[in-house]
Formats: sequence, structure tokens, C-alpha cells
Amino acid sequence: MDLNSIYFIAKKEMMDNVRNLWIIVITIIFAILTIAMSALGSIFSDEWQGLGMTVALMMSIVQLLVPIIALMLGYAAIVKEIENGSMNTLISLPVKRMEIILGKFLGLGGVLSFTILVGFGLAGIVIGIMVPDVNYVEYLVFIGATILMGIVYLTVALFFSTLFKKRSAALGGAIFLWFFFNMILPVILLGIAFAGASITDIMSGNAPEWYYAVQLVNPMTVYSTLVTLSFGSMPTAMATPQLQYPEFYTSGLMVLILFIWIIGFLSLSYWRFYKRDI
Amino acid sequence: MTSKTVKCPKCKNETTITGKPGEKTQIICPKCNSKGVFTFPIENTESKTTTDSFTIEVNNLTKKYNNFKAVDNVSFNVKSGEIFGFLGPNGAGKTTAIKAILGLIQTDTGQIKINGIDIKEDEKQAKKHVGYLPEKVAFYNNLTALQNMHFYAEMKNVPKTECKPLIIEMGLEDAVNKKVGKFSKGMQQRLGMAQALLGNPPILILDEPSGGLDPRGVALIRDKIREMKNKGSSVFVSSHILAEVQAVCDSVGIINKGVLVAEDTLENLRDRLNLKPKLVMELEKVSDEIINSVKKLEGVEKVDVLGVMLHVICNPRAKSKIILAAEKAGGNILNIQTMEPSLEEVFMKFTEG
Ligand SMILES: Nc1ncnc2c1ncn2[C@@H]1O[C@H](COP(=O)(O)OP(=O)(O)OP(=O)(O)O)[C@@H](O)[C@H]1O
Ligand SMILES: [Mg+2]
Repeated sequence: MDLNSIYFIAKKEMMDNVRNLWIIVITIIFAILTIAMSALGSIFSDEWQGLGMTVALMMSIVQLLVPIIALMLGYAAIVKEIENGSMNTLISLPVKRMEIILGKFLGLGGVLSFTILVGFGLAGIVIGIMVPDVNYVEYLVFIGATILMGIVYLTVALFFSTLFKKRSAALGGAIFLWFFFNMILPVILLGIAFAGASITDIMSGNAPEWYYAVQLVNPMTVYSTLVTLSFGSMPTAMATPQLQYPEFYTSGLMVLILFIWIIGFLSLSYWRFYKRDI
Repeated sequence: MTSKTVKCPKCKNETTITGKPGEKTQIICPKCNSKGVFTFPIENTESKTTTDSFTIEVNNLTKKYNNFKAVDNVSFNVKSGEIFGFLGPNGAGKTTAIKAILGLIQTDTGQIKINGIDIKEDEKQAKKHVGYLPEKVAFYNNLTALQNMHFYAEMKNVPKTECKPLIIEMGLEDAVNKKVGKFSKGMQQRLGMAQALLGNPPILILDEPSGGLDPRGVALIRDKIREMKNKGSSVFVSSHILAEVQAVCDSVGIINKGVLVAEDTLENLRDRLNLKPKLVMELEKVSDEIINSVKKLEGVEKVDVLGVMLHVICNPRAKSKIILAAEKAGGNILNIQTMEPSLEEVFMKFTEG
């Protein structure tokens, strides 16, 4: 493996997205939304909401937006170069396919991380000025968890970009993925939930362990669990009722699961790309 | 350091001085004290890079798409320093073979070595020696020509200062900072050639380099191919334009329906097919006497008469004898032309059916 090749590909991927400007627009949208959430909170109480409350309000927006951004960033990464023809030249250069995949992953991951970090970070600073006694450590954990979740979706998108012959097909695949993770998978898991345990059991943490284990199939659940765990209990304004988590739900386990997703789909992407005729 | 014995122009006293090439030294004659300046000559450092081992070796290459053999058990060698023309009709498998050489596609059987390095064992090292112009050239459309080249220079570990001169050499001086997305097909082809030439690769692989080019562009590419050969590079070029190949290639390989049907020097191929040059004479008047005296000559295979034109298929050595014989028999020759058997004939012979 050659770090130089990986670096140059990553750099190019980042520059492409920065040149595109849309990623800067999204960063600003993130910041404005977060600040707005905090400021809007003052409608209910007399002052701006603290970061913990803002995060609780933000969660549902983040869960919608971050996967979309990640999928948009990644879905065409490989297929666009194959369709357009520049992949011929790229592979003819002294570079391994592993380095191409890693370069694209790191470059796009960098763009995504930057967007989330700067978007929420800016908002955090603004809120921090308006509200006393802010817990920045918790807020940083929230940003870190969001980046990790975004990268999970990014690697899934990257895999899809190695799967199709046409960019348009990969876009279709990415849209399907978003629906799958946001609509279909939760319904399936909900079905399993009702088959396995009653509402009161689930709420009180009395459901069997396998039920809780199955819920972790959805990376979004893993993400929200991770955030909730690190904030202690979520402020009550949170839309979903507060669940009682079983003991094996630890932050470490959640981080591990997200990493398994990332490494798994990164490996799948490489395997598909390696076998592919250009 | 080199040393040189110089003679004082005044007193003819000889002294030996030492210095580096290109260095200017003040000399004071130890005998008569007269002063002079001597500049050491710059040695000819532009020695030809020896690239003896830089070749492409393809052994028993087979590539199947589903069950269709696009390339069928093909073997050939590109010798170092030669220009190898890879010919074949549309769909013969040229591009497929080239993609296999560069590791763009998975192969079913076969071994490929670039400069002795197996592409499957160390693709990175193997590809370091290659400049490649793909059949369908494409770049990053959102970047300018120079930005594109900078990226490739980084990846090839070549100084970025090489980029701009190459773009200009390929006739794109007005488009250096233009986005490639706005380039015409021919402009992209030129930039593709510039990309392939980055870092002076000892092996150049060009898949139909004349595609989409105007005549000036075609000539430019031909010059570049010759120039690279003179620098010691091996050039592998697939082409349809047979006259082009004929003008530059040392050896040719002919592929048809995935099978390599011939691989040799152009001369040997002509010999093998018994293709002889043709002498065409325009006479004032054709007579039987002239025809018969030419026919009698040794080395003459066939004489055709078309009006006042005499077409003689012959051994190249017999040409002058033919001319003499025709004149002796009373022929008044107005014009003489020799026609070498073209690659086209070779090509047609091998790919018919
Ligand atoms: N990706 C592919 N899938 C299926 N068949 C393919 C693929 N690529 C090439 N082929 C087939 O393989 C054969 C050889 O194609 P190739 O592109 O190598 O020909 P070529 O000699 O380069 O032709 P041309 O002179 O037109 O460029 C053709 O019959 C083509 O249809
Ligand atoms: Mg071709």
C-alpha cells in the first residue's frame, strides 16, 4: 500500500466536492438549522435551549439529512468514473485498486466529517454564547457519533457505486437504500418487536435480550442509542418515548457495531471493484 | 572532474588544468603570466537510456465475456525499442488485449509481463513503466487540462513542471486552463497523448491514437511515436489506419476474431504472403516487342497492360533491368512509379473470411 497514492486520490475527491460548492451550502444549512432549533426552543420556554435539548430536537432531522448527504456523496464515486471512461486512465496509473477505494473513502469521509463538524460546531459555538453552562463534551460525542453514522451510510453508498454499470442505476440504488433504512427496516424490526414482546415489557426493559439484539441491525437505532447513552437520559421533549435499555447496550458496543458496518462495506466495495472489468 | 592540457597562446607553454564540465576557469600561464579563460566542455549527458528489458510479454492470453472468447489464447512479444503495430478489424479483440495488459480486466488464462514483472504479482511496479492512451479517452470534466495533468503527474510521481510543456507540445496551448468538459473529441485525444507521455515512459501503449484527430494531429502523434522510439522507448500501437502503421511500425501483430493470425516484421509478412512490389511504367506506345522483352527477364512474375500503362510485378532487384529492356525494345518511357505492397494487402490476406 502506498500512502501517497491514497492521499492524492483523497485530496482530489475532497477538492471536487469543495469546488462543487454544494457541500458548503449543506454545512451552512446544518449550522442554521441547529441554531434555529435552539432559538425556536425559546418559544416554549423563555430562553434559548441548551445543547442537550437542541440535540434532542435535532435528532430526527439529523437522522433524515445525514444519510441523504452520505448517499449523495458516495453513490457515484466509482460508477461515474467507469461510465465516463476516466477509470481506464486511473487504473493504468501505478496504483492498486485497494488504494483507489481507500482514497475515495477517505476523501469523501473527510468531506462528510468536515460538513458535520463545522456545521454543528459553528452552531454549538453560537448556542454556547447564548446559553450558560453548556456541556461541550457531550456535544462533541454527539458530533462524533453523527460522523460515524454518516460514514456507515457512505460506505454502503460506496459499495453501491461499485455494483452498477450506470450512474443512474446507482442513484436509484441509493434512493432505495435510504427508503430501506428509514422506512422498511424500522417496520420490519417493529414487526419483530410486537411479535416478541409487549409494549410495556419493551418500555420497562423486560423484553427478552434477543429482541434488543435484533434492534441493533438498524444502524440508525445504533446511532440514536449511542447518542442517548452518552447524554444520560434524553430530555423529555424527545419525540420517541424513553426506552429502558438492557445492560449490554453500552457505548462501546454501539461504536463497535458502527465500525463493523464500515469495515464490512469497505471490504465488500473492494471485493466488487477488484473483480470488475473496466 | 576532467582535466585538460592547454597551450599558452603566447609562449606555447603547456599546463594541465582540471575542472567540472561547464566550469569557467581563469588560467594564468606560469611562464609568461599571460591570462586566459577556459571553459570545460559539457559532456554529452543525453546518453540513450538503455531499456533492453522494457518489453511487453503476453503468453496464452484468453478473455471470455460470458462464453464469447474476445481474446483467444493470444501470445506475442514486443521487443525493446521497437514500434509494434497491433492490427485487426473492428471487434477483433485489440482493445480487450490492451485492457488485459494494463490489468483493467480480469483474464481467464494467460500471463502478462511488463518489463519482466508479472502484472498480477506486482501491478503497481509493472505499471510504473507504462504510458497509456485509452481508446475512449476521458478526463475529469470539471477540471482544466492542467489540473487534470497535475493529478496524473502526482499519481505517476513525475514533476508537475512537465505538465504544461506537454499540453503545449500537443497543440493545446490555448486550452491549458480550459475545463476538459468543454474539449472536443480531438482535443481530448491530444490531452490523452500528453497524459501518456508524462514521465517519458519506457513503454507506450496507444489504443487507436489517431481517433478523432485532424491530419495535423495525426502527424503530431506519428512524430511523437518516432521521438519516443528514438529515446529508447518501446511503443505498442493499435490502429485501423494501415498507412499510419506502415509508416512507423517495425513489427506488426494481426488479430482476427480474437486469434492472433500473424506476428512478424512487415517485410517478413510480405515475403510470407509472396507480396511483391509493382513497377508501373507509362509508355508513349505499347508494343508486343516491349511486353515480351520484359516478360523474358529474370525476376519478372507478371506483366499487365492497361492502355499505355505497363504493370510489372517483380523482384525489387529486377527494376532497372526492366527499364533498360523496355527502352531497348523501343519503348519511350514517360513516367515510372514503384508500388510497394501495402499493409492493406497483408491485412486483407490475413483477415479474410
Ligand atoms: N464489456 C464487454 N462485454 C461483452 N463483450 C465485450 C465487452 N467488451 C468487448 N466485447 C466484445 O469483445 C470483442 C472484442 O472487442 P474489442 O473492443 O477488443 O475489439 P477491437 O479490436 O478493439 O475493435 P475496434 O477496432 O472496433 O476498437 C467484440 O466482439 C466485443 O463485442
Ligand atoms: Mg478497440
